[in-house]
Amino acid sequence: MENRNKTFVEDIERTLYDIRNEDRSAYKSQAGLTEDVVRDISARKHDPEWMLERRLESLKVYNSLSLPAWGPDISELNMDEIVTYVQPDAKMAGRWEDVPEDIKSTFDRLGIPEAEKVSLAGVGAQYDSEVVYHSIQESLIQQGVVYTDMETALREYEALVREHFMRLVPPKDHKFAALHGAVWSGGSFVYVPEGVHVEIPLQSYFRLNAAGAGQFEHTLIILEKNSSLHFIEGCSAPKYNVTNLHAGCVELFVGEGARLRYSTIENWSRNMMNLNTKRALVEKDGIIEWVSGSFGSHVSMLYPCSILHGENARCEFTGVTFASKGQNLDTGASVIHAAPYTSANISTRTISKAGGRATYRSAVKVTPNAHHAKCSVNCESLMLDDISRSDTLPVMDIQGDEADIGHEATIGRISEEAVFYLMSRGISEEEARAMIVRGFVEPIAKELPLEYAVEMNNLINIELEGTMG
Amino acid sequence: MAEKIYSEIPMRTWRWLGVNEARVEESVLAPDMAAVQSLFVPAGESRELTVVYRQEGEGRLDVKVAEGGSLKLTVVQLLPDDRQYAGQVEVELAKGASLEAVAVEVGAAKAVSKMQVFLKGDESRADVHVLYFGHEARKLDMNYVLVQEGRQTEANLNVYGALSGQADKIFRGTLDFRRGSKGSKGYEKEQVIVLSGKVRNRSVPLMLSGEDAVEGHHAVSIGKMDENKLFYLMSRGLDMAEARRLVVEAAFNPVLDRIGDEELYRELDDYIKERLADE
Repeated sequence: MENRNKTFVEDIERTLYDIRNEDRSAYKSQAGLTEDVVRDISARKHDPEWMLERRLESLKVYNSLSLPAWGPDISELNMDEIVTYVQPDAKMAGRWEDVPEDIKSTFDRLGIPEAEKVSLAGVGAQYDSEVVYHSIQESLIQQGVVYTDMETALREYEALVREHFMRLVPPKDHKFAALHGAVWSGGSFVYVPEGVHVEIPLQSYFRLNAAGAGQFEHTLIILEKNSSLHFIEGCSAPKYNVTNLHAGCVELFVGEGARLRYSTIENWSRNMMNLNTKRALVEKDGIIEWVSGSFGSHVSMLYPCSILHGENARCEFTGVTFASKGQNLDTGASVIHAAPYTSANISTRTISKAGGRATYRSAVKVTPNAHHAKCSVNCESLMLDDISRSDTLPVMDIQGDEADIGHEATIGRISEEAVFYLMSRGISEEEARAMIVRGFVEPIAKELPLEYAVEMNNLINIELEGTMG
Repeated sequence: MAEKIYSEIPMRTWRWLGVNEARVEESVLAPDMAAVQSLFVPAGESRELTVVYRQEGEGRLDVKVAEGGSLKLTVVQLLPDDRQYAGQVEVELAKGASLEAVAVEVGAAKAVSKMQVFLKGDESRADVHVLYFGHEARKLDMNYVLVQEGRQTEANLNVYGALSGQADKIFRGTLDFRRGSKGSKGYEKEQVIVLSGKVRNRSVPLMLSGEDAVEGHHAVSIGKMDENKLFYLMSRGLDMAEARRLVVEAAFNPVLDRIGDEELYRELDDYIKERLADE
């Protein structure tokens, strides 16, 4: 039989991300999850009493819930071995120079300070369980914008945090939301006052350095009426032979007429269980735009949810997922149309290769009152060999007769006709295949700020195997 | 009344969507295998089979089509409005075998049906056409799975539905490309017309693939009636109700036209017209 060579897409180049520092944390909680561990974290973080109560309540919920009966196998995750709190040997710094040298050089290598100089209005950097650096442009402070770590927010904006914290993602939502509620630490808090437009993006970068640890950062963003913001989140970790866990939580409140873009480039190492929960509540005429790139981790379960709560609220979701050897990336999105004239547009691309498994999972729900809701879902999957898997599992749950819902999905490999056509125009086979793959993810790349589109292109380092079959 | 899981989605998802499984009252299920109808289509031969279910209970049908054989299968569920139905059809296709199936789901207070087609042989082909009409407080639960195992197989699943009253419907349609099904193609389409603000409509078009050298496509469109069509028909003198009836009937024609039995065709046509008139 004819032996045809496959397009060979190089595994994501991880060298930069895999450099690990010596683990010289100031404090580590004992492994496992007990009431003592939760009380200890709470005491060390000087939580107000109500937060301790919520943590303990979450722990109860955690113990009462079982693992999800769907999705990737996560049975290898042993919570008894996970260290839920790792305090780095560093205090929160407002000046880059004050960050300890090894931590600083990690973020330097990842280009974080450079990005801050060139293209960001504020930066937060979390190392293990604590935020080690936070900065924001003076002009934004004067307009009343708040961008700080969650612990500071809990002290200085306690009422606001108390009102919003885990309101969108209640601990009862699922086991890992409950886990998050019990042991959360770090993360960012953003508040944009009415009518203020933050023209340049804010970015938080999360780095998990300690082996066998969990990261449970909480991101809370509140946009008041007619404000706007672009928030960027980046995540990475070096690779270890033990399982690390990321169970962060993102809660986004988009006020009337406000616009929030939330971009994520996730490149966790291949020993990471990434069980993250993200949810946005969008009021009248508000817009949430998700741009989501999932490249790393061993297992991911990530489905940002948009609740379109006010009339004419909108959601745009653009996502790319690249699953390679040893990866089971279960990603997607969900949208709940809960008001009239709401609209959503979901567009995703998945690539699987070298035995990787990519699953697109989504839910579109239209409640009976959401007349004239419109939703369009488009999902394309590219398989680069026959040892990988690609599955698509969308659900539409529509009530009422005034909704207009469309869903489309395709699956396949690189078209030989397209390769042939490009070659007939004088392009080499390697370049032709590379062009097709780049073209495949282009709808996502164009939604990213330039530096991140370049990073994504670096992540997808395309190589081609020698000869034609 | 005790219930049993009768039909399950090939890949589970969030429980809150309520689509992972369908349950049926145990009293509806057939007590033994006596209720199973079997059919074998010998190599190179053609058969036609029409099954109409009119009584409460469970219907089961097992079909094997040998190499190069072909089957035209029509399964119609026309139970009285207050009855419950559970039904399953399983078809296995050998090399070069083909299936043209027409499934019509219109009756019963609660109907749970599943059809599995295994395209085991190379170059086997299945064309499955489904029509459902949910009206009043009907509950319809359908689970169609086309498994492509052989090389260069082709599977098409075309679904047309209309929902009125307080109907509650779930349609799961799965194209499952197994590893080794090189050169296979699969296509799934569901079009739903919604006629009432009180219906609940759940659509789950799955596409599973362990093979890269395949082409799979699925599409779902859910919406109210095309206003341009209605406007055109009304400009030709039809009133609103007549225009709506005509649009639904036209949407159903691609399936109804495939019913060879003229008497059955007329019965179904009358049944749908009558229910639409009540609407």
